[in-house]
Amino acid sequence: MKRWQWLIALSPAVLGLILAAFVIGGRVANPAFYLRIEADPLVALTGLVLSTGLAIVLAVLGRVQRIRHKTLKESMIQATEARHRFLRRLDHELKNPLTAVRADLANLAVTGGPEEHVKALTRLQAQVSHLSRLVASLRKLADLETRALERLPASVGEVVETTFRVAQEQPAAQERRLTLSLPHRPLIAPVDRDLLSLVIYNLLDNALKFTRPGDAVELRVLENGHVIVIEVADSGPGIAEADMPYVWEELYRGHGARGVPGSGIGLPLVRTIVERHGGHVRLRSQPGQGSLFTIQLPKD
Amino acid sequence: MAIETKPKVLLVDDDSAITESLAPFLERAGFTVSVAVDGQDALQRIGSLAPDLIVLDVIMPRLDGREVLRLLRQAENQTPVILLTQVGEASERAMALEEGADDYVNKPFDPQELVARMRAVLRRARPGEPPLATAQRLASGDLLLDRRVRRAWLGSEDLALTPKAFALLEYLMTHPEELISRDRLLDAVWGWDYPAGIRAVDTRVAELRKALGDDPSQPRYIETLPGQGYRFISTVEVVP
Repeated sequence: MKRWQWLIALSPAVLGLILAAFVIGGRVANPAFYLRIEADPLVALTGLVLSTGLAIVLAVLGRVQRIRHKTLKESMIQATEARHRFLRRLDHELKNPLTAVRADLANLAVTGGPEEHVKALTRLQAQVSHLSRLVASLRKLADLETRALERLPASVGEVVETTFRVAQEQPAAQERRLTLSLPHRPLIAPVDRDLLSLVIYNLLDNALKFTRPGDAVELRVLENGHVIVIEVADSGPGIAEADMPYVWEELYRGHGARGVPGSGIGLPLVRTIVERHGGHVRLRSQPGQGSLFTIQLPKD
Repeated sequence: MAIETKPKVLLVDDDSAITESLAPFLERAGFTVSVAVDGQDALQRIGSLAPDLIVLDVIMPRLDGREVLRLLRQAENQTPVILLTQVGEASERAMALEEGADDYVNKPFDPQELVARMRAVLRRARPGEPPLATAQRLASGDLLLDRRVRRAWLGSEDLALTPKAFALLEYLMTHPEELISRDRLLDAVWGWDYPAGIRAVDTRVAELRKALGDDPSQPRYIETLPGQGYRFISTVEVVP
């Protein structure tokens, strides 16, 4: 609303003042009014007026809230879109230089040279591949937020079990107590099998990376009404409270993650995939007492 | 003894940083390399040079790679083309293949991988014939794959493959006799970097084998090369 429009609100007051001036100026012969009214219409009328006033106030408040909500949602969507655009441009702009650097490194590697040069080249090649993968992963994570999923009815227990067997083959798994508990009956839900498998694998991989030999890692699948609950619990060192709100963000590496290999993409992928399935992720952790990652997926 | 001639390659990219670094690498790998700086330059050179293979960047000023490819195929020129794609999405790449590319590599690629693909495309090339990559229907023994309706039959039996299994079979059949790493299958079929991927590829190959009745220890169609990847070992033909 424009600023001058508020002046309209002042018009009754101005009108009243002008009338009062007339009365004081003696232009009205008998400046006293006596109003006599019966109690029942007065009470009823007052109630009616107050109700109308209240209804108007409530309607205005509701509208204000809706507008505020809408603006907030719009600005969130805009922020997400801006982030996508940024990642796409970054990905795009880095592609050509990275391609040229890789080709030059490959050229140098073929020409040979002193041993320390060859070693330095090998390191450079590894680092450039790492950079290429990182940029691609970020871009693909952003794409995942909007791309179509291949959701088909599948047995969640079966997907979880297959992934569990794969994770079990990791060397770190041999040194930890890994357990799997599945519900008795198959839980069928429309899921993208490959992506759900990635969720489970990333959570297990995470637990294996951040626990110590001898720690327990438990993977559980439960049913709670219309929701499938998948939990990964560990008895590891837990996550510092200061890190908790950020672990789902891209490239965030908590204090406990220093020296642990990782891309900073694993958990953001988990969250994005679960949310794209209409589910939720949750993390509870107590330093010194382990962590519990929970994902909830709707059955339909 | 026959003198083996080096294959002639036309490398097309508007970014000189790429052509200057890639051309010498390809020369070392055993190709004779000419460079074109954009699409129009490429079309002019193709006429005079008659290359055995074109490595074509997609995003270029004046005339982009996709347009060059379209014009080339419209003129019934079937010179094998490998596209250097910029776009990470599977749908974009599928479109590139439909327009008649023989293969694509995603920037920033490993130069060794590009060389491997170039050699594979040259091996596959059958002069004058349409490439497998653009054919609508492919057959291998009893197996028939129809890419337009996205269905496959084994003899008279409709295989009812899941979309992923179909895409996997499609990629394998358009690259017969070629060792394909799991990473490359992931890239082609899943279309994005899939960290827990190796297992996903294995699971889908198992699904496909089950549908094809193919025994992994005595494969008729899909062979496993331990630690390396998969290979489609049966002969593939284009059928009308």
